[in-house]
Amino acid sequence: MSEVALPASLEEVYAIRKREPGAAVLAGGTDLLVRMRADGKKPPVLIGLERIPGLSGIAIQDGVVRIGPMVTHQNLLDSPVIRKHLAVMHEAAQVLGSPPVRHMGTIGGNICTASPAGDLLPALYVLDAEVEISSPAKKRVVPIATFITGPGRTILTGQEILTGIRIPVPDPGYQGFYRKVGQRRALAISIVSMAALLMVSPDKTVRSARFAWGSVGPVVMRFPDVESSFAGRTFGPALLADVGRQYSERIRPISDIRASASYRKMVAAGLPLKILEQ
Amino acid sequence: MKKLHDAHGATGIPDEKGEGHFHTKSDLPVPVGSDLFRADAYGKVTGRERYAADEYPAGLVYAGVVRSPHPHARILAIDTTGALACPGVIAVLTGGDIRGTNRTGLPEMDQPVLADTKVRFTGDPVVLVVAEDRELLRQAMAAVKVTYEPLPAVFDPDSALAKGAPVLHENRKEGNLLFSGVIAKGDADFAFSECAAVREGIFSLPRQEHAYLETETGVAKVDGDGVLEMIVSTQSPFRDSREIAAALGIPPEKVRVIAPYLGGAFGGKDGITVQGHLGLAALHSGGRPVKIWNSREESFVSSTKRHPGRVSLKLGCTKDGTLHALSCRLIFDTGAYAGLGGPVAVYGMGHAAGVYRVAHSRVEGMNVYTNNPPSGAFRGFGIPQVIAALEQVVDMLAESIGMDPLEFRLKNAIRVGDETGLGIRMSNSADIVTCLEKARDHPLWTGRDEWIRQAPDYKRRGVGIATGVLGIGYGPVIPDIASAKLELLTDGRFRIYAGVADMGQGNNSANIHIAGDVLCQSPDRFELVQPDTFRCLNSSSSAASRTTYSYGNALILAAGVLKERILDKVAQLHPLFRRENLILVPGAVRHTPDGSDIALHTIAEAMQEADRVATATWTAPVNRQQLAVAPDVKMYGFPHLAYTFTTHLTRVEIDEITGAVAVDAYLAWTDAGRIMNPHVYEQQIQGGVIQGMGYALWEDFRVTEGAVVTKNLSTYILPTSMDVPDILSVPVETYEESGPFGMKGVGEIGIVAALPCIANAVAGAIGFRVCDAPLTPERILTALRRAA
Repeated sequence: MSEVALPASLEEVYAIRKREPGAAVLAGGTDLLVRMRADGKKPPVLIGLERIPGLSGIAIQDGVVRIGPMVTHQNLLDSPVIRKHLAVMHEAAQVLGSPPVRHMGTIGGNICTASPAGDLLPALYVLDAEVEISSPAKKRVVPIATFITGPGRTILTGQEILTGIRIPVPDPGYQGFYRKVGQRRALAISIVSMAALLMVSPDKTVRSARFAWGSVGPVVMRFPDVESSFAGRTFGPALLADVGRQYSERIRPISDIRASASYRKMVAAGLPLKILEQ
Repeated sequence: MKKLHDAHGATGIPDEKGEGHFHTKSDLPVPVGSDLFRADAYGKVTGRERYAADEYPAGLVYAGVVRSPHPHARILAIDTTGALACPGVIAVLTGGDIRGTNRTGLPEMDQPVLADTKVRFTGDPVVLVVAEDRELLRQAMAAVKVTYEPLPAVFDPDSALAKGAPVLHENRKEGNLLFSGVIAKGDADFAFSECAAVREGIFSLPRQEHAYLETETGVAKVDGDGVLEMIVSTQSPFRDSREIAAALGIPPEKVRVIAPYLGGAFGGKDGITVQGHLGLAALHSGGRPVKIWNSREESFVSSTKRHPGRVSLKLGCTKDGTLHALSCRLIFDTGAYAGLGGPVAVYGMGHAAGVYRVAHSRVEGMNVYTNNPPSGAFRGFGIPQVIAALEQVVDMLAESIGMDPLEFRLKNAIRVGDETGLGIRMSNSADIVTCLEKARDHPLWTGRDEWIRQAPDYKRRGVGIATGVLGIGYGPVIPDIASAKLELLTDGRFRIYAGVADMGQGNNSANIHIAGDVLCQSPDRFELVQPDTFRCLNSSSSAASRTTYSYGNALILAAGVLKERILDKVAQLHPLFRRENLILVPGAVRHTPDGSDIALHTIAEAMQEADRVATATWTAPVNRQQLAVAPDVKMYGFPHLAYTFTTHLTRVEIDEITGAVAVDAYLAWTDAGRIMNPHVYEQQIQGGVIQGMGYALWEDFRVTEGAVVTKNLSTYILPTSMDVPDILSVPVETYEESGPFGMKGVGEIGIVAALPCIANAVAGAIGFRVCDAPLTPERILTALRRAA
């Protein structure tokens, strides 16, 4: 059995980790506990973060939404701020896991697990989210795309811990979409996922389009050069089909137990069209 | 759908001993045919009902099995010294420690409790370890050293039958061929030349995992009298007790098996799972109780699956649409051990003509050993595989001659008295015709073209139908016998000693319904004893849609006997009462001329104990038609006497972007005789259909080179409540003369037609057939792209 610590401050977290370098940070546990069971390895201490003030809560200030890493997926769903300002994230949380998973799992856990299939990640990428990293020595803020370096890998080192997520509120002209394909309608790990932010003029001219793709590479993928090519074009099925075609050529999916690489490419080619489905 | 709170009664609260004492707010008898709230419902939803997994007796120790990492290997050496030296180890046992035959299985006793000379699949049990707790057990199991010499292995039936293929069971003269047989009528080969149209299909059917909530588990101990007592999650306690005794070398009367409610089974616990290991561990634990409870992963590796296989089916008809010739060839992969592979193949073969009259037929079946995980019984028992092929080819043939698929079926459907395509005379209840007619007249069928036309962008729609048939009971040779036992308790209540395990289908709750009806007693006057080989009478396995059919018949007889004894006793006690003026009423016997009641407890106190216990045995009638088949085909269950029938209809919508099939609506018209309990009937149909949908669309238990690839519920995809629509079950009632209250078993018929029904709808939507099931999004999309 592992010892479970429930510190009330970051300082306590640092102290425990100093004492037990093998301690694991528990931010919900929907991934960590599964992995511990699968590997049969139990860290000496599990550090639960739920009692630390400042790691929970959703606030909006100066055009930036700040989300505590211990905010659960259900908290995101229940938040008027998220629904109003970050619709793409609201949609992603809706299709993440199942009700028990959404009540247990957290945004911080989803980020630090760094799975290319993590459902919040494409939304965070497309929103240009940044994350706050704290350690006894300092605090730093980096873009999400810098934070995650590979499947299951982040830049966290030593005593560092994720302490916040900052998301600039997009221009209200943007509409957000999250579309995901899994093996079934719930409790499904994404085979291909796509977050989109679109700004379209009343005359259907695309002013700005951003896309981030999950489960089609080692990390969530965005291609600024592709995104910029859509501005000025007319929004509609033809454009969305072209978006799919372009991304389908750029993504680098692998074959795994859930889907082949070729299926992922076929699905990606059509996925933008699902923006038209309400 | 009917709401459960409309049902009679409300709560069934088990007593403190968990003995299954049953209360209900209803103090009136609930006649068979109307809803009765399940006796097990309250205890299960409140967590008070104890499953085998819930048993933690004092002094408990744990046992675990070290399994083979190779699909086929000779065991060169087993070194247990390291494990024995581990802390908390109680025993480390090998095949050499077993005093009995070390073999289990039915009808073929070919599966070792622990491997002796070699292993035949990845996961074959080799060493059994018993330790103080689960962590110490894990450490000791890791310290067991087994040296193997890997042998060449075979992973598909075709390779296994090839000349020179490695042989799994060297003592078998047929090599890897477990079973082969033929059922034929007329001259099918010639008859095809007389057909106006012939269509053929080759269908690949996947392994399916039972995925019951409660994985294989039990506790066992040897008591002071040397009796090995086991509480275990099993469908077949009586057969298990004999198998355990023979395999471990102990007298059968020294083995007691108790089967509490199971947390699901679906055929996967029809026979030995952990029982051999539990018994062996208990014989070496110094009298302490031993527990085994498989993890989900171990369950996936070690438990049987639905037989994967290939069914090639050819069907021909004359110009007017009369079916004329059928040929079917099925080949199943039974894995490393026979299990129920022979009977499964025969059940499949015996249903290859479905619900149809066909003049000429030839059905060949084979079941083949491979170094894959063992296959076994699973709801439908070989029949879903064969109906999957037949019902798709029926659609193809109807299309070829330009007939509506439903009218085509109706034209060829059997009626009572007809001879089926396999020569079986339909002597008992059979009403597939009404099932089909109701489907034909349903708005979802009559309005299908309009619905299909309204498909949104990037979607294609299809509407499919299929029929199914399933014989109930064991067939003409293996006796299907049930023995009921019913006791009038001295407090005036009744106790039913269930002889058949209840794996969740509600058969033991149905016992209260049946006995209550015969004895005119309310449900709250009954308690249930779950199957216990020392207290209950052998009524065989919970299988073959025969649980309530057989035990119910026996219970009606036993209740009738007890009723007569009660009334006789009252007539004896009250010489002025005329026997014919006495009737049973709830809690009493009433003298009808003056309305006076004599309480049942008063009567019970006056009766001798032997008089208060009534038993009765019922043997199922069998089909005595003399059909020209080999003795083993007959023994394994061909032909049946009574059959259940169904017609399914579904609407599906296919996503052109992902290939996903969404089931939009699903209906099932079913002839399972008379309905005893409408809501339990509906649960069985819905459960069967959903499991069939899983088989059709998602569930694909993958094995590569003998090793399980879909190791857990994250990769083996079961449907969730989000994936299935409401399922409408419409009973088409008949009266089955051999069944209790006219019923036929309804546990399996729901699953048999789901795959072809969905496949037919999908084929209608996309214009061609995907013959490899399940019809996963990837398979559909790949086929769509290829077709484009």
